Amino acid sequence: MSGWFALGCKSSLGRLAASAGVAALIWLLWGFPSGSPQLAQTAKAAAAPVTCATCHVGVATSYAHAPMRHALEPVENDPVLLTHPRLTVEQGGYTYTVETKDGKSTYTVSDGKDSLTVPIHWMFGQKSQTWVLEKDGSLYEGLVSYFPRENGLGTTPGDGKTDPKNLIEAMGRKITPWETLQCFNCHATAASEGAKLTLDKMRPGLDCDRCHEGAEKHMADAARDNFSTLPKSLKKMDAQDTANFCGQCHRTWDTVIRNNWKGTVDVRFQPYRLENSKCFVGNDPRISCLACHNPHQPVNHDDAFYDAKCQACHGEAKTTAVAAGMAIKSCSVAKDKCVSCHMPKVELPGGHAIFTDHMIRVVKAGEAYPD
Amino acid sequence: MLVAPISEAVTKIVSYRKQQIRARRVANSTGLWLPILLVFALLIGGPGFGNAQQAAQFDDLAGRAAAARDSGNVPLAVELYGQATQLKPDWAEGWFYIGLLQYGANNFPAAIDALNHVLELKPGAAPALALRGLSEYETGAYDDSLRDLDEGVKKGAANEPRNEQIIRYHLAQMLARAGRFQDAMLQYQFFASKHIDDPDLLLGLGLAGMRNTTLPKDFPAEGRELVEAAGSAGYVFLSGDSQTADGMFRKLFERYPTVPNLHFYYGVLLFMHGPDLAIDQFKSEVEVAPSNAAAHAILAYALMFAGRFAEAQPEAEAALARVPDIEMAQIALGRSLAEAGDVKRATEVLNQVLKRDADNMEAHMALAAMYSRTGKREEAYRERLVCLGMQK
Repeated sequence: MSGWFALGCKSSLGRLAASAGVAALIWLLWGFPSGSPQLAQTAKAAAAPVTCATCHVGVATSYAHAPMRHALEPVENDPVLLTHPRLTVEQGGYTYTVETKDGKSTYTVSDGKDSLTVPIHWMFGQKSQTWVLEKDGSLYEGLVSYFPRENGLGTTPGDGKTDPKNLIEAMGRKITPWETLQCFNCHATAASEGAKLTLDKMRPGLDCDRCHEGAEKHMADAARDNFSTLPKSLKKMDAQDTANFCGQCHRTWDTVIRNNWKGTVDVRFQPYRLENSKCFVGNDPRISCLACHNPHQPVNHDDAFYDAKCQACHGEAKTTAVAAGMAIKSCSVAKDKCVSCHMPKVELPGGHAIFTDHMIRVVKAGEAYPD
Repeated sequence: MLVAPISEAVTKIVSYRKQQIRARRVANSTGLWLPILLVFALLIGGPGFGNAQQAAQFDDLAGRAAAARDSGNVPLAVELYGQATQLKPDWAEGWFYIGLLQYGANNFPAAIDALNHVLELKPGAAPALALRGLSEYETGAYDDSLRDLDEGVKKGAANEPRNEQIIRYHLAQMLARAGRFQDAMLQYQFFASKHIDDPDLLLGLGLAGMRNTTLPKDFPAEGRELVEAAGSAGYVFLSGDSQTADGMFRKLFERYPTVPNLHFYYGVLLFMHGPDLAIDQFKSEVEVAPSNAAAHAILAYALMFAGRFAEAQPEAEAALARVPDIEMAQIALGRSLAEAGDVKRATEVLNQVLKRDADNMEAHMALAAMYSRTGKREEAYRERLVCLGMQK
């Protein structure tokens, strides 16, 4: 039965999603403090359209630069395409060209005799970027993507074994309606209603209400001085709830287990990897995604930044843990940059990117990647 | 080495049987399988006769049997294979040919008898299992048929593309008859994915989807319209056109608003792509049939998959109040209780599942969640390792 109910998004877009937003999908601690009538009055007085930023200006400003906000970009705003007006690559006997001109981008594939050109409407990912293409009413994942490390085009992750027989197959992999739903739901806001894709209502990237359910109503009510309809607080979620929440897109432990996903490719499923850590426990806030990551801000790539997070358990201030009978170890090798050893960087196969393995552990030289 | 030639032979015969089914005619099987040429005997190994005369006699019989088979003379071929197997009772190939020929001639009990010999000599031979399963289907020995077809498929009997259709079609019917509806739908999915269309298939899929254990051949004509329409909608869905299928299901819901198991059916199809997509259908099913324990159970299960544990719990309890041992509901209840931190009740319910099936991964996942929620780090880690170990 578990096979029948196995779920999952096989899309390589998911992999790029993780690349775009290494930080977990969270949105909580800093968002939506309790209502502020004064600010609302100010907003009304200014007669400007009410947005989340009207009251939550700090977090909104910060979030504008967060990767999740840019998980999907409209073509006219896309810095990758704007700064790369012509990208081209030859592979598998086909030539791919992505051209941007006058704010419009096209994706062309040619076999030397014939060619096929389609407009690019949707760009998934902020740094690495995959394009979802539309042809004759069907959606396709472009067979080539942009990778910043190579500063050029390469095979879209997961499509390496594709052997196209014609121009359409060479253009991209046709994606099922279900896969499409999953892709847009994790890269955009208001992309679906139930099982129906609503691209006409879709807003690119993760807007506030993608995580803060009820934010729109709260905003409308707050504009009328009604602060009783606050979105459900996400601050109260424990480490387990947070992992599950972020795992909606970054994949939960349950999802990976049920789908039997294995191997190095699962390094991009951070909640799953984190829960595989010996030190993970659901009711300890020190191991929550939020303990290390602020989803409203860009990811901090300084290893030393995370030392205090590790030392919350493994440092001097471990009295509580010891009193609780937990066997907390201290590192005998180093006292800083803990993550550089205990959360190794792993090359994602075919992903043209390196991911931090969130399975916190003592890494032994030469050991295989632990599933 | 044994499998390939048997498989080839089965291929010919089952292809023919499939034509019989599709055309709804009773055919004289003579002729269609006659061109079969096999090298089976060589692979089995030479007969171990005590003297050269016996060996020569056996070779003569085997050669004449093959010639009779090739020329379409079934009675003679059966007679000669029979004589040869009398002379050499451990000649599996000979027994298999008898089974094959008898099956093709609609002499199903005789086919079963011959295939019993094959399986005594070569236990687990997938083509023989599958052919015996098909024969048992024809004699009405459905439980035996399910056992053999199921095992045959597990051992690779359906790996040969030409055998696959007939084996899966009959296995699907047997699974549905046994109440294993979702397993049956998986078998029907094969046909939809290959765009193999047939009214009997649609009826079979409709019956499985609507959780009806009646065999298509026994289903009354007056009920066919609804079930075939349901089968068509499911077929379209499984073939990948979910948008058209959705429209077809909506029309069915409008036309048959009180018919049980229609929403259940669509929900199960949607579940494959996301539990959250299926929840509304299962809720509708519970509204149509509030006493349907299975509907409550699967609703609870879908809610659990979607992480909506608080909603899952009452549905699981509703299911178990009606049927106390529905595993799906027990798992959903155990997980919901675990997530709520009710360690005592969760452990009790999950242990019921684990007592029956110690390797039930969902139960171990629920235990991991329970320990994690309650701060039992080492126990949670241990249960996670159990689940990870099951994947390897």
